[in-house]
Amino acid sequence: MEVLREKVEEEEEAEREEAAERAEWVRMEKMMRPVEVRKEETTLKQETLRDLEKKLSEIQITVSAELPAFTKDTIDISKLPVSYKTNTPKEEHLLQVADNFSRQYSHLCPDRVPLFLHPLNECEVPKFVSTTLRPTLMPYPELYNWDSCAQFVSDFLTMVPLPDPLKPPSHMYSSTTVLKYQKGNCFDFSTLLCSMLIGSGYDAYCVNGYGSLDLCHMDLTREVCPLTVKPKETIKEEEKVLPKKYTIKPPRDLCSRFEQEQEVKKQQEIRAQEQKRLREEEERLMEAEKAKPDALHGLRVHSWVLVLSGKREVPENFFIDPFTGHSYSTQDEHFLGIESLWNHKNYWINMQDCWNCCKDLIFDLGDPVRWEYMLLGTDKSQLSLTEEDDSGINDEDDVENLGKEDEDKSFDMPHSWVEQIEISPEGTNILEIKEWYQNREDMLELKHMNKTTDLKTDYFKPGHPQALRVHSYKSMQPEMDRVIEFYETARVDGLIKREETPRTMTEYYQGRPDFLSYRHANFGPRVKKFTLSSAESNPRPIVKITERFFRNPAKPAEEDVAERVFLVAEERIQLRYHCREDHITASKREFLRRTEVDNKGNKIIMTPDMCISFEVEPMEHTKKLLYQYEAMMHLKREEKLSRHQVWESELEVLEILKLREEEEAAHTLTISIYDTKRNEKSKEYREAMERVMHEEHLRQVETQLDYLAPFLAQLPPGEKLTRWQAVRLKDECLSDFKQRLINKANLIQARFEKETQELQKKQQWYQENQVTLTPEDEDLYLSYCSQAMFRIRILEQRLNRHKELAPLKYLALEEKLYKDPRLGELQKIFA
Amino acid sequence: MNRLYNSMEPRVMDDDMLKLAVGDQGPQEEAGQLAKQEGILFKDVLSLQLDFRNILRIDNLWQFENLRKLQLNNNIIEKIEGLENLTHLVWLDLSFNNIETIEGLDTLVNLEDLSLFNNRISKIDSLDTLVKLQVLSLGNNRIDNMMNIIYLRRFKCLRTLSLSGNPISEAEDYKMFICAYLADLVYLDFRRIDDHTKELAEAKHQYSIDELKHRENLMQARLEEEQAQREELEKHKTAFVEHLNGSFLFDSMYAEDSEGNKLSYLPGVSELLETYKDKFVIICVNIFEYGLKQQEKRKTELDTFSECVHEAIQENQEQGKRKIARFEEKHLSSLSAIREESELPNIEKMILECSADISELFDALMMLEMQLVEQLELFVDKDTIVNAVGASHDIHLLKIDNREDELVTRINSWCTRLVDKIHKDEIMRNRRRVKEINQYIDHMQSELDNLECGDILD
Repeated sequence: MEVLREKVEEEEEAEREEAAERAEWVRMEKMMRPVEVRKEETTLKQETLRDLEKKLSEIQITVSAELPAFTKDTIDISKLPVSYKTNTPKEEHLLQVADNFSRQYSHLCPDRVPLFLHPLNECEVPKFVSTTLRPTLMPYPELYNWDSCAQFVSDFLTMVPLPDPLKPPSHMYSSTTVLKYQKGNCFDFSTLLCSMLIGSGYDAYCVNGYGSLDLCHMDLTREVCPLTVKPKETIKEEEKVLPKKYTIKPPRDLCSRFEQEQEVKKQQEIRAQEQKRLREEEERLMEAEKAKPDALHGLRVHSWVLVLSGKREVPENFFIDPFTGHSYSTQDEHFLGIESLWNHKNYWINMQDCWNCCKDLIFDLGDPVRWEYMLLGTDKSQLSLTEEDDSGINDEDDVENLGKEDEDKSFDMPHSWVEQIEISPEGTNILEIKEWYQNREDMLELKHMNKTTDLKTDYFKPGHPQALRVHSYKSMQPEMDRVIEFYETARVDGLIKREETPRTMTEYYQGRPDFLSYRHANFGPRVKKFTLSSAESNPRPIVKITERFFRNPAKPAEEDVAERVFLVAEERIQLRYHCREDHITASKREFLRRTEVDNKGNKIIMTPDMCISFEVEPMEHTKKLLYQYEAMMHLKREEKLSRHQVWESELEVLEILKLREEEEAAHTLTISIYDTKRNEKSKEYREAMERVMHEEHLRQVETQLDYLAPFLAQLPPGEKLTRWQAVRLKDECLSDFKQRLINKANLIQARFEKETQELQKKQQWYQENQVTLTPEDEDLYLSYCSQAMFRIRILEQRLNRHKELAPLKYLALEEKLYKDPRLGELQKIFA
Repeated sequence: MNRLYNSMEPRVMDDDMLKLAVGDQGPQEEAGQLAKQEGILFKDVLSLQLDFRNILRIDNLWQFENLRKLQLNNNIIEKIEGLENLTHLVWLDLSFNNIETIEGLDTLVNLEDLSLFNNRISKIDSLDTLVKLQVLSLGNNRIDNMMNIIYLRRFKCLRTLSLSGNPISEAEDYKMFICAYLADLVYLDFRRIDDHTKELAEAKHQYSIDELKHRENLMQARLEEEQAQREELEKHKTAFVEHLNGSFLFDSMYAEDSEGNKLSYLPGVSELLETYKDKFVIICVNIFEYGLKQQEKRKTELDTFSECVHEAIQENQEQGKRKIARFEEKHLSSLSAIREESELPNIEKMILECSADISELFDALMMLEMQLVEQLELFVDKDTIVNAVGASHDIHLLKIDNREDELVTRINSWCTRLVDKIHKDEIMRNRRRVKEINQYIDHMQSELDNLECGDILD
């Protein structure tokens, strides 16, 4: 880790130099520096740099004792799932296909390095590289975009260099293992990143290629320190003030030109020297920093991620170096060549020449001349055909396809053997809790608890009985820190906010007829009272009350008080008036309320020194003692009122706290009048309505009941009744009804008699067996008796009632029949 | 009943009487003692009661400039006079006197409550300027003409009227008539007028009232028209082109030209004259419109100018205010430090520091002010305004010399006046500011001196 420390120092030096550069406005040749992708970066000012330097020097780099060894010995493979330890038949088949492909390839291109197709995994099982990719969409919105994913991978994993920098590794572990141990080489990095990017919907590929020394070793010495890079400042749209025709002359410049010139000259001299010094130093630094030519340039194997344009609104192809998480253009000179690339579906071999790094490569994976694919039938066939070589390519394509179709037909990549990649957020401690509420009677909407400061804030909707809007507090005890905000329009006194600390209370008002805007009260320590009645409230003594007022346009400014301070303890009242529009000083007045006695023992009412005042425009009457006396008397009354107000505010706070506690304990819900199920009142009303409706309905049914229907049915339908028929019909109907009434009476009578008989029998039985009966039987008997008596009584009542009602009902029916239009013939006679 | 003044010696409203009254009616108890010590200025008095004093003539009241309420009831006053200066008067009681005509109230424009109960007035009159009148008491007088009531229609705020005890109150129709003609009245003879009576009265007198209203509306419309015309003319005058939008100039030209008149009798000349007149009028109208346009330009020019000046002054004021605020903060803390300090030499040192601060503030404020004065000096740019005049001059050259001269001189004099005024205002402002700064510094210094004395005494 010493290396790292050095690097940090080097970075610092780079910064310093950068700052100097800014100061001098010297354009340095950027050619010596790696080409930056972020062109819009601006470097910071010198002060910020110094701050940064300080901060960086404070950073302690802990040197971990363990070596970054990440061999298979350290990996616990016992708990890994089966898919890690064996190959499915499909995978076996795939490996065979790959071997076949590899053989053909080495036959066709004998001078190229063997393909990197199926390295061993942590269980020493060969796995095809594409199946090592496990596309995963992370459940964190922060990891949805490529830059955050790359940043996560680069931050989360520790880089381990390849065992042999000139060859791809023999092993490639699953992303789950890599995540578990938080270590990996460039292939592990890019596999994980690629899995995440594909999962997020990017068209991403793992690349096996060649990188520069810096890239392979994650050497950022020659990068600009990211901390010195400020995000591009949004340029404020300055409102162009129309230059006015008349402008005042700028204040006269009273400095000597000559002196200024001399000063400038001196400054320039100093600067020139400084510059010279800096330049020398820079040159020295540059010399030291210049990259040494790498003997293995172009041979170092590296793996990175390629993101192709098209998906997720990516406008242009670009590379991501998984070590740093930086993005690079595909033209970047760090990337020296590509051997092959793959995603979770297929594997492509680069058939283009990489003599000019990756600058001339065309990433059209559907073009089989440039990219030799391994599996057919994947959806990656976006061949962008140009007109002229249309036919030629097609032919070749066909030939190629013909050869492969036999073995590869309908063969698709087996599912990944890697387990679901999971990143668990660890070490989170709850900082704040937010709870949202609805339908609460106390109008509470949101509770916000900050765990670090222990501050609780309740937000209310309009409609709380105390017009609360926000209540933030640490404890529900009175006279503690708290802020209560109100819906001021709902309050008579226009209070917006009341802030409390143990010793002060501040209130803010708005829209009052007396223009009060602010009242601040300081309390002294509570005086201990030794009274017997402990229940009596003992308010804290008020030391000072400050009140501020808005400007009252109806009053002249010199009579309109802006601020008044009652120093209760000192018996002093200070007034400050509003400032008149064309003035810069405001009137002030101070009253000493001391009542003194002169040497003769007479009470001094008012002396000039009891009122110190400064007046902008002294007026005659205000100088008079009488005026001052009256003003003082008025203020005394006002002071009393203000003290009372403060006291009432304290009481109100107590009340609010009590109310809040009650509300919290009760937590009743409001029920909308439209909520017919829960609203009791409306439910009752609805039920009553239903009952009424039901009864109404029954009555209607009854009225619609047609007595004549059964009798009319006997007659031929559709014919008008003759008088004789009508009379007969009526008589029949009535006699039938009579019969029914009699039947009913009989029925009741029969039941009544039956009950009576049974009761008598029971009584007889009881009298006979009275001696032998157990108490339980006796109880049984008694209860039976009472029930039977009840039944008999009811039956009796019904019978009597029936007897009473039957003639009436009979008459009613008779009348009804008379009025029935179908029996109109009857009426003719009677009419 | 009116008392006869010869039954008792009439008294004169002299200084002594007034002083006595003011003393009696002034503040009481502690405040009264103070008032006695200092004496009360008549102009501070807000309310005065002078009843049952057998006053014959109102006099010596001119000093009571701020008087709001004056009671002169139950005297033997015969003529309303000597009240001209009491322009703030709201409440005037002249009941139970021997006044015969209403007069001398024209300047009391703020009067809301006037009582002339039990006098010898026979006609309601001379109250035109009392537009705020709400309560008018004219009971027990000699008003006998019912039509006199119509005079009261002009008081839009009048709500209470008492007329009982007048000859007209015996008329059968008295109440109905008043209710009908004074629809906004709420109380008549100390009784509330109920809605029913109002409706009845309205129905009864509807025809004549409608006619009256129609007449009043016509009058109102005529007045408004006149007003509008006057305003229009005023506007033209400020543009210096009044009477140029017609043949007025032409007519006036020929009115004095007897030769020209004679010429017109020649054959053919009258037609020529006619066309000449037409052309002349067209040119006049052109000038007129041009003048109005120029007036607009001048106005915007002036507005931008004053806006700029205002901005400059405002900024300067803000700076001054900030300086003072900063000074006060420091001053307060150093004052309290001085109070707490017990070592005399230390105190002296601190006081010295304080005075140094004060003089520094003075310097700073004065410098600000001087800066502003310098900035505003020579700042008034006459050119633009003069340019505007010059431009119109070209056209005017074609016109009749007389009129043109008048126009140009007027514009020029307006311009000089304006520039003078701006300068004068600026000087006034400067004086005021310097005075203010000096006052403030003096106050601070004296406060410090007082503290010094106090400390030394301690």
